[in-house]
Amino acid sequence: MMSALASPTMLIAAMALFGIGGVGAVLLRKSDRLANYWSSAFALFGSVTALVFAVSMLASGQTFVAQTTSDSFPLLSFALNIDRLAAFFLVTISIVTFFCSLYGIGYIKQYYGRYNIGYLGFLYNLFIVAMLLVVTSSNGIFFLIVWEIMSLASYFLVAYDRHDPENVKAGFLYLVMTHIGTAFILLAFILLYVHTGSFDFTVIQAAMPTVPAHIKDSVFLLALIGFGVKAGIIPLHIWLPAAHPAAPSHVSAIMSGVMIKTGIYMMIRLFLDVLQPAPLWWGIVVLVIAVASCVLGVLYALTEHDIKRLLAYHSIENIGIILLGVGSALVFSALGMSGLAVLALTAALFHTLNHAIFKSLLFLSAGSVIHATGTRNMEKYGGLIKLMPATGLFFLVGSIAISALPPLNGFFSEWLTFQALFQGIAQTDFYIKWLFIGVTAALALTSGLAVACFVKAFGVTFLARPRSQRAEKAHEASAVMIAGMAGLAVLCVAVGVGSSWIIAQLQTIAQGVLSAGDHATLVTVTSGHILSIAEGFATVSAPLLSLLLIAVPLVVWTITRFGINRSQRVTTGRTWDGGTDLTSRMEITSTGFARSIILIFRGLLKPSLQHSVEYEDAASRLIPRSRSVTLSVQDVYRRYLYRPVFIGFIHLSHWIKNGIQNGNINAYILYILVVLLVMLGLVGVW
Amino acid sequence: MNSPLLVPILITVIYLTSIYMHLAKKNNGVAGLYALQSVALVLLFVSSFLANPTVLLFLVIVVSIIVKVILAPRFFNRLVTRHKVKFTVSSYANTPVTLIVIMFITAFVNSDVFLPITDLSASNSTYVALAIAAMLVSIFLMVNRKSALSQIVGVLSLENSIVAFGIIAGLEQSALLQLGTLFDIFVWMLVATVFVSMVYRHTGSLVVTTMRHLKD
Repeated sequence: MMSALASPTMLIAAMALFGIGGVGAVLLRKSDRLANYWSSAFALFGSVTALVFAVSMLASGQTFVAQTTSDSFPLLSFALNIDRLAAFFLVTISIVTFFCSLYGIGYIKQYYGRYNIGYLGFLYNLFIVAMLLVVTSSNGIFFLIVWEIMSLASYFLVAYDRHDPENVKAGFLYLVMTHIGTAFILLAFILLYVHTGSFDFTVIQAAMPTVPAHIKDSVFLLALIGFGVKAGIIPLHIWLPAAHPAAPSHVSAIMSGVMIKTGIYMMIRLFLDVLQPAPLWWGIVVLVIAVASCVLGVLYALTEHDIKRLLAYHSIENIGIILLGVGSALVFSALGMSGLAVLALTAALFHTLNHAIFKSLLFLSAGSVIHATGTRNMEKYGGLIKLMPATGLFFLVGSIAISALPPLNGFFSEWLTFQALFQGIAQTDFYIKWLFIGVTAALALTSGLAVACFVKAFGVTFLARPRSQRAEKAHEASAVMIAGMAGLAVLCVAVGVGSSWIIAQLQTIAQGVLSAGDHATLVTVTSGHILSIAEGFATVSAPLLSLLLIAVPLVVWTITRFGINRSQRVTTGRTWDGGTDLTSRMEITSTGFARSIILIFRGLLKPSLQHSVEYEDAASRLIPRSRSVTLSVQDVYRRYLYRPVFIGFIHLSHWIKNGIQNGNINAYILYILVVLLVMLGLVGVW
Repeated sequence: MNSPLLVPILITVIYLTSIYMHLAKKNNGVAGLYALQSVALVLLFVSSFLANPTVLLFLVIVVSIIVKVILAPRFFNRLVTRHKVKFTVSSYANTPVTLIVIMFITAFVNSDVFLPITDLSASNSTYVALAIAAMLVSIFLMVNRKSALSQIVGVLSLENSIVAFGIIAGLEQSALLQLGTLFDIFVWMLVATVFVSMVYRHTGSLVVTTMRHLKD
């Protein structure tokens, strides 16, 4: 039974289901309803099939390899290699796409009559297939083809709601950035090909001892930039806060939940597997980038009042947390501490899974809110918990998970990351020890700020009173959308409670990637599901913690209800307002909530505060009619990094237009002559 | 190539005509030099035909004479007459500088750098180098001359040099391909004639520097 489920037929079946879903949606494009149901249903079937295949692969522990080589076109070789790491990412992608497809059935209805639903269904299924192939490919050229398909499909999905010029602009920014990233990846693969004679990852890995160190270093830097763009690391992240909000919400959930993880997957695959052994400085570079991403990501999230941009910045933050694990694994691996490397990589993999689940949940919840209120501006929300109780509950679950509060899944992966960093402090020498101390402090700061940010996001959105007419008339999401969110919310709890078992499985994957063997085990799980790090350095029991967190409020409530307040009657009346009418204008806003924190970090965020007053009588300026405060934050990356580059390109373009491309045909032929002479000369020299 | 005496003479003629095209002051003179160069090329074909007579190669010789020796110079002369541009031959570099550049090109082609290419036919390496030099000198004609007519002749001369290079280096293409190329040249000449006439109507000149006004 297991071998049948883990057979390649299942993977082919999954691909075929997505294919039927995509092509069928195009054929049924005349009917919005049919195209939606068809594409979503096949995406659901495809996701389940891929999930069953991946889970079976993980359970059986086998590796699936498929390869075809063409003698006529050797560069067009096709190669798949599904080991435990690839299977894990398949599981992650399939889980998220399943629930997003379910949610999409209801969400897509808002586009009926406005956009082509068949086109959306085709791109959506193509996007998922490309992601699945990205994490299973084992040949550089084949990888680049599916990577490009993934990027283009996601670009068209970002720009799908094309009536809004901002979405088109965001799509273009994404397209430019992703192709800059692809150019770097291409260069990395070409360098590897030149020195190993193959694009096949297995061959490259085998030939690695013969590759000079400076070439490996160059490949590392090129790949870090190339995959870093997709992952959204700072400072290559600028497309992410623009593109993720622009896409339909169930697509945003997939992009933020799993697409950016394909960049992480390739970093793990290359840096910790194919290019090993790696020097120490690779790990240090990754750690520095990780710290910048997690701290600045959460700070920028705090400044946002656009709910989807806020979530997008949190994706940058969480990518930073994942990279803390990857970077630590690289450092430990370079120092020969294979047990610690396994621990750090396990933490990174676990946070990858958790972030995929809770971030998808948050994007879907945000999508329901936007669908109900027609705006992404949190200042226009308020009081939605009364009108959208289910959505509010799911957003709260996602918020608790992303804030790393027990007993949900986010807590356990961050806890594990902390343990890896603590071990770094305890077991390394002076300089590396201080590096880990700094990194641990940064993660602690990030965690605190994340809690503050989600207190703001949940409070401003769901609590108090509605601050706009649209918010007053908001309605709960449809049943199928609730089902999509509910599934992910249940997973947040289930993965948290069952974290010890999952961590044990992920440890096996990490051992396989690092070729560490069973002896490299720092995480042990006792019979009581108690997770123990480094022989008792730290322990935690997810079931016990969950039980405690349920039992304590229950006991308090029972004592209060039946012990202390047994004879008291509860009456509900109006809130005391001190003689004034309580209105929504008295509520703390998103900007007001974040102001104090922004001012603490003003050196980094460069905020600007503008006060404006409108008077009843402009001439006398005695009685103000209204006062407003505008707090805005400069995008330092755009100003100090991208803008100078942009200006440089403009100057270069002018120079080319006026100097080289001057309209004189003689000059153009001269360029041809010079290039011809140089090329002929090079042929002679080489 | 079985005619040891004829080949050096013909390739030298092709090379020298490409140089004289730089020195000619009248457009008609340039057309005449192209006709002479084409005759040399046809004789190279004849030399091949004598060594290996085939009907198709004979056809190539006949079509080459019609297109390259008769029609192309005739079209060219008609253009000169119609637009009264008999003496409008002007160049960027003066004659001494032009000759120095040509000397450098020829020296560069005969240097060791070009050995991998000239050794394609080891016994004819000097003539292969001359053919390459003729190619580059033809391109330089297009760079140096301001008149559109000179540029058209430059393209045609470049094509002659490439064919000569192919024959001498042993990279001769099939007769059918040669016929296709000749047909291509014929159509290209027709298009170029129309194009040049249109440009002249718009700008009143055949100097290519005035064509930059066509950009907008």
